[in-house]
Amino acid sequence: MSDNHLEPRDAGSPEVPGPETAPQGLTISRRRLLEGMGATAALMAAGVAPALLSALPGKASASESPSGGGDAVDAIAERNQPVNYPGRPVKYAQPAGDEKWVMVIDVKACIGCRRCVYACVKENNIGRESGFTYIQLLEMEPGSIDIEHAKLDYEEGGRPDKWYLPVQCMQCAKPTCVYGCPVKATWKEPDGIVVMDYDKCIACRNCIVTCPYGARHFNWVHPHVPEDEINPDVPLDEKAGTIEKCHFCIQRTRNGGTTACTEACPVGARVFGDLSDPDSAVSKILRTRRVWRLKEELGNEPMIWYVG
Amino acid sequence: MSTQSTQWAAPAPDTKRLIGIDWNIGGLLHAGPRFYAFISLLVTVIFLGLMAWGAFLFNGGGLMAMRDTYPWGLWFTNYMYYVGLSAGGLAVYASVHLFGAEQFRPLSRLAVLQAGVLVMMALLGIITDMERFWRAGWMLLTPNPTSPFVYTGSAANIYMIIAFVDLWILITGKGGEKLAMRMTLIALPFAVYLHTTTAFVLSLNKARELWNSAVMVPIFLTSATASGIALLMISAYIMQRFNVMRFKKSMFRSLSTLLATVIIIDLFLLGVEILSIFWPTSNHPGHSARMALFFEAPYGWVFIPVLILGVSAFALLAGRNRRHLPAVQLTAAAMYVVAIFLKRYTLMAMGFAIDPLGQFTAPYFPSLVEILIALMILAIGLLIMAVAAKILPLQVPDQEIEEHAHEHVKQRAEWAALDAEPQAAQASVTEAG
Ligand code: SF4
Ligand code: SF4
Ligand code: SF4
Repeated sequence: MSDNHLEPRDAGSPEVPGPETAPQGLTISRRRLLEGMGATAALMAAGVAPALLSALPGKASASESPSGGGDAVDAIAERNQPVNYPGRPVKYAQPAGDEKWVMVIDVKACIGCRRCVYACVKENNIGRESGFTYIQLLEMEPGSIDIEHAKLDYEEGGRPDKWYLPVQCMQCAKPTCVYGCPVKATWKEPDGIVVMDYDKCIACRNCIVTCPYGARHFNWVHPHVPEDEINPDVPLDEKAGTIEKCHFCIQRTRNGGTTACTEACPVGARVFGDLSDPDSAVSKILRTRRVWRLKEELGNEPMIWYVG
Repeated sequence: MSTQSTQWAAPAPDTKRLIGIDWNIGGLLHAGPRFYAFISLLVTVIFLGLMAWGAFLFNGGGLMAMRDTYPWGLWFTNYMYYVGLSAGGLAVYASVHLFGAEQFRPLSRLAVLQAGVLVMMALLGIITDMERFWRAGWMLLTPNPTSPFVYTGSAANIYMIIAFVDLWILITGKGGEKLAMRMTLIALPFAVYLHTTTAFVLSLNKARELWNSAVMVPIFLTSATASGIALLMISAYIMQRFNVMRFKKSMFRSLSTLLATVIIIDLFLLGVEILSIFWPTSNHPGHSARMALFFEAPYGWVFIPVLILGVSAFALLAGRNRRHLPAVQLTAAAMYVVAIFLKRYTLMAMGFAIDPLGQFTAPYFPSLVEILIALMILAIGLLIMAVAAKILPLQVPDQEIEEHAHEHVKQRAEWAALDAEPQAAQASVTEAG
């Protein structure tokens, strides 16, 4: 906006008779240059204004607690609104309900066994030779939460002198991946799940670049799953040459189930549930325990919390 | 050579007139064996590239060296690079109209042609990289306003059209100087806009510390302008060497002064960025850790030459004794064109070197398929330039140059008169307002 206000003043300024230094010929060409610059500024303002507006979805721009000292957790659930939602139901799953799906992971309990990873690979038809998994386990040094010193490819099993941080798509309330996709091939559903449209993705991989959690993965090779292990409830061939990522097992959770990783965890480190329901386990944990989020300072508002 | 007279005097007998342009078909048909050898080489490279692209479409991205940790590779380096080269060359052409830099008028058609071809190459890079490129129509149907990609992609397309239309206007002389001027007023802001939005694709990313810096945009613009001027100088020398166009020595001298000026601004901005990252009171862990890789092996091998090449190119152009020599000018220009390519590559690769989960990944080096595709695009660009040099009247007619040189002299006399009578000058400026 302010760019537009500046424009006429810039373009007009050479016409103000000032201390006589500039020869007339120069004045004219400088005015033309400034017109050009003004046009650039206007073009950019025109392009950027809608971008900025749509980056502030719904009430997201409101202050921390709209109800004035009200429940901060309710405010978080409230901010978790759809983004770029095309309003049509997703394939392979029921339409979204009124829930706001979130997850809490107990890092004190997690032993780094990676059973969640394998359960997820099986459940979601992740190509066995694709070289990625939705869930990534970081082996953390005691005394630090610095992921830059963590180890991703640690040996199988997990060690008692380390601690483990499972990372997957955080279903962010302000999903930078969704903001970055040029064709709206990925969006956030009303129940908070960030989904992919495999039939629309143009394979530009900008979402990989914009996601701060390394949660998005490209099918560089055709996803291969042994015939007898294919899960018919989840797409497979459609994913070739496109992006995929954790979607909170939308095919299960919208049918009343829980996620495959939650089910597989031997120590119950994962709790999945509806944040809009005050009696759900996740709501109770968030209200009573000290929780934290990964890279919270970036403002993506991840919907996976850690406790422990 | 004999072509010299036919190129810019009376139309050659084999000229065909189409859409108002005299296409010198004869020039192409009677070209020497060396020209055809070069063309066959380019066609072979294009053929190999097409096979590589086919293999990629058939087998998937596994043939590329890119992976989730390096989601973009050579194609994106080239995209930034070509877009920059294009915008830079256009700035020279625009200065003819905006600043009355008449000495550059002989370059105008070459600059605009080159700008259009380079943007086309940049766009081909995107298309050959997307495994699902036929879905790109969604960019028009459901564009996402928060994605910088939408802006740079659409700007590149529009800019390419502007460049080719502008070339047509310049060659046919339709609309005269006035229309050429108006086209500049559209093309130059668009060049800036295109390059700014390209920088935004990297810089508007909180997920990638290295790029998330506002100085990226001016660095992109100065690198673009410097490398673009340098490439234009090289093309002009090549065109002169093959008797397609001819230029005055003073034109090259002017161009190299301009180049030296932009190079030093470019190096200055880079220095500012490096300083703000490493100064103890401003050191930002995430950012410094990534930037530090610039100076360590293996990335240092690519980045330190950027600094050496840049400083040496400037030193060559600044030295009073030798800067008028074509060999010195060409060497400096070539050094900077290479330096900017290396800079684009390190900038992209280094942003990915430490992934969002803090993991260091082995450096990216393009696979054979990626290199063949990139060479194919380069060959397409060279092919268009080579054929255009034969059949398009790229040389600006002497008559047009003299006319404007004349005007220029007149204008200068007017300015001198203004300085002589300050009162009168003030009055006339007020009148103009
Ligand atoms: S974690 Fe990444 S992929 Fe998941 S919603 Fe957030 S930005 Fe998108
Ligand atoms: S790769 Fe697909 S989902 Fe990701 S930004 Fe590009 S089009 Fe969108
Ligand atoms: S299954 Fe549970 S304990 Fe094992 S790695 Fe996953 S979250 Fe941790």
